[in-house]
Amino acid sequence: MNQINFDTQNLGQALNLLSNELLNALEFGVIGFDDEGIVKVYNAYESKMTGLSLESVIDADLFSTVAPCMNNFLVAQKFEDAVDEKVELDEIMDFVLTLKMKPTRVKLRLISAPTLPYNYVIILRSN
Amino acid sequence: MIEDLKSDYESLLQFMYMAPVGLVQMQADGHIVMINPYSANLLLPIAPSGDLSNLFTTLEDIAPELQNLCTNFTKKRGQICDSLRVQLTAGIPGKKDAKFLAFTLLKLDMDRIMAVITDITLLVKRERQLQHSEAWFNAIFTDVSEYAIASLDSEGIIERWNVSMQRLTKFEELDVEGQSYGLFFPEDATNQERLKDRLMEADQNGWDLLESWCLRKDGSRFWGSSIISPLVDAYREPLDPARYSLIIRDIDEKRTSTEDIIKASFNDHLTGISNRRAFFEVAGVEFERWKKRPRPLSLLAIDADYFKKINDTYGHATGDEVLKHLSQILQDSVRTMDIVARLGGEEFGALLPSTDLEGAVKIAERIRTSIAEAEFKVDGHIIRYTVSIGVSAVDEHVTGVDMLLKLADDALYVSKHQGRNRVTTAAKSVS
Repeated sequence: MNQINFDTQNLGQALNLLSNELLNALEFGVIGFDDEGIVKVYNAYESKMTGLSLESVIDADLFSTVAPCMNNFLVAQKFEDAVDEKVELDEIMDFVLTLKMKPTRVKLRLISAPTLPYNYVIILRSN
Repeated sequence: MIEDLKSDYESLLQFMYMAPVGLVQMQADGHIVMINPYSANLLLPIAPSGDLSNLFTTLEDIAPELQNLCTNFTKKRGQICDSLRVQLTAGIPGKKDAKFLAFTLLKLDMDRIMAVITDITLLVKRERQLQHSEAWFNAIFTDVSEYAIASLDSEGIIERWNVSMQRLTKFEELDVEGQSYGLFFPEDATNQERLKDRLMEADQNGWDLLESWCLRKDGSRFWGSSIISPLVDAYREPLDPARYSLIIRDIDEKRTSTEDIIKASFNDHLTGISNRRAFFEVAGVEFERWKKRPRPLSLLAIDADYFKKINDTYGHATGDEVLKHLSQILQDSVRTMDIVARLGGEEFGALLPSTDLEGAVKIAERIRTSIAEAEFKVDGHIIRYTVSIGVSAVDEHVTGVDMLLKLADDALYVSKHQGRNRVTTAAKSVS
């Protein structure tokens, strides 16, 4: 099986096919959520970075309760637009997250496609 | 036990993640130790290149006073400021509200400061509406003997003289007959277009209120508040042709007592000229006027050249003197109706109503030469410096004050790039 990285091509497809075990072994954060913004996938790495357990996050609203710092035109808006217009979104950007209240530079990869069951935010620590 | 702790910790984290108010803990130098997502959301749009490691650096362009307040706060602990307002954008009247944040800073000990940040955009908007109503009530209920009352025709010509006018302004019946109401205002504080604007704004809003210098017959000035409102018929419909009532009130006394408060919120702490917030406010009004009745409106963006070098070579005190000197020259180079302001750091703006691009370039050149030719002494050092200027003017493609400023800033950048100490005109804006 090929190694899956933050910048792997067609990362959305790859994640979709990945078992929970392998998902939890990844060295970057993965959040998968449906078109309503409800969290459905949350891997161990992300859970470790935010300090939030899988149980408290699954089925919660991503942009209002899990990651409100992404609730802006840079992140949330792009997903909303992609879902509304039924187009593909795959974009990498620099961002600052407030993980456990510490300003942390990260790279975000935003993935959405009409063919995927979930939308994904992928989080890689920059430093 | 450990499990309990873990779940408590997680609940606390979640509580902080979701709190709908900005909380930041920083060191005395502004270095951010803790920050919650809501703060990040509020600050990221203004953070240069998305850097949130230092609050003072993030805010240095739009609210340099925050760092100043903290540095000057000598007590060991206590509240440094309470809901200090910072204006982020000018907004587009009617479309996009001007964005405001409020900062409350609390010093915990020598190296810990807590900041509470709230978005007060809506609050400010509502407050402004209230202020207007309050102005009305003030005008109506306070002692009538302090007022001059006149009626104006549709062109702003004084129709009827009465004794209240004589009491306040000393003008007699013969002096005002057939004259425009501009008679009551000094020449450099108003012009024909502005007088007409006020009547139009009274038509649209039901009133127009202005605090400005007013004129007595002997030429002496007083600080007055004047309100113009259209006269209505028994059905509260405006008369046709329009007629207006004009009430002028001497508020010299009120001015002295509230001067400090106004100064604190609308003036730059260092140079004493208007700050960014006052600038955006006036610019917003001027832009609205332009939309209703297009006429020239220009903006200068002025920046002291090699300012960091001056600071590094001679120290911050000298840098401050340069900023004060520059403010004075700017103030002396424009009319009373123009507004000059410190927009942040070493950047200044000048808004020139009823001035076209060509006229604005002349004024910019005048400023540039005055500064290039000036020299002054600080601590025994002779200081000379220059400025770069960008000039923009409103045209049909300009959507708001933010864009007008951006165009001037771009031109300013070209001035810097081409060697400084020069004036550049903005390229024609294309939407």
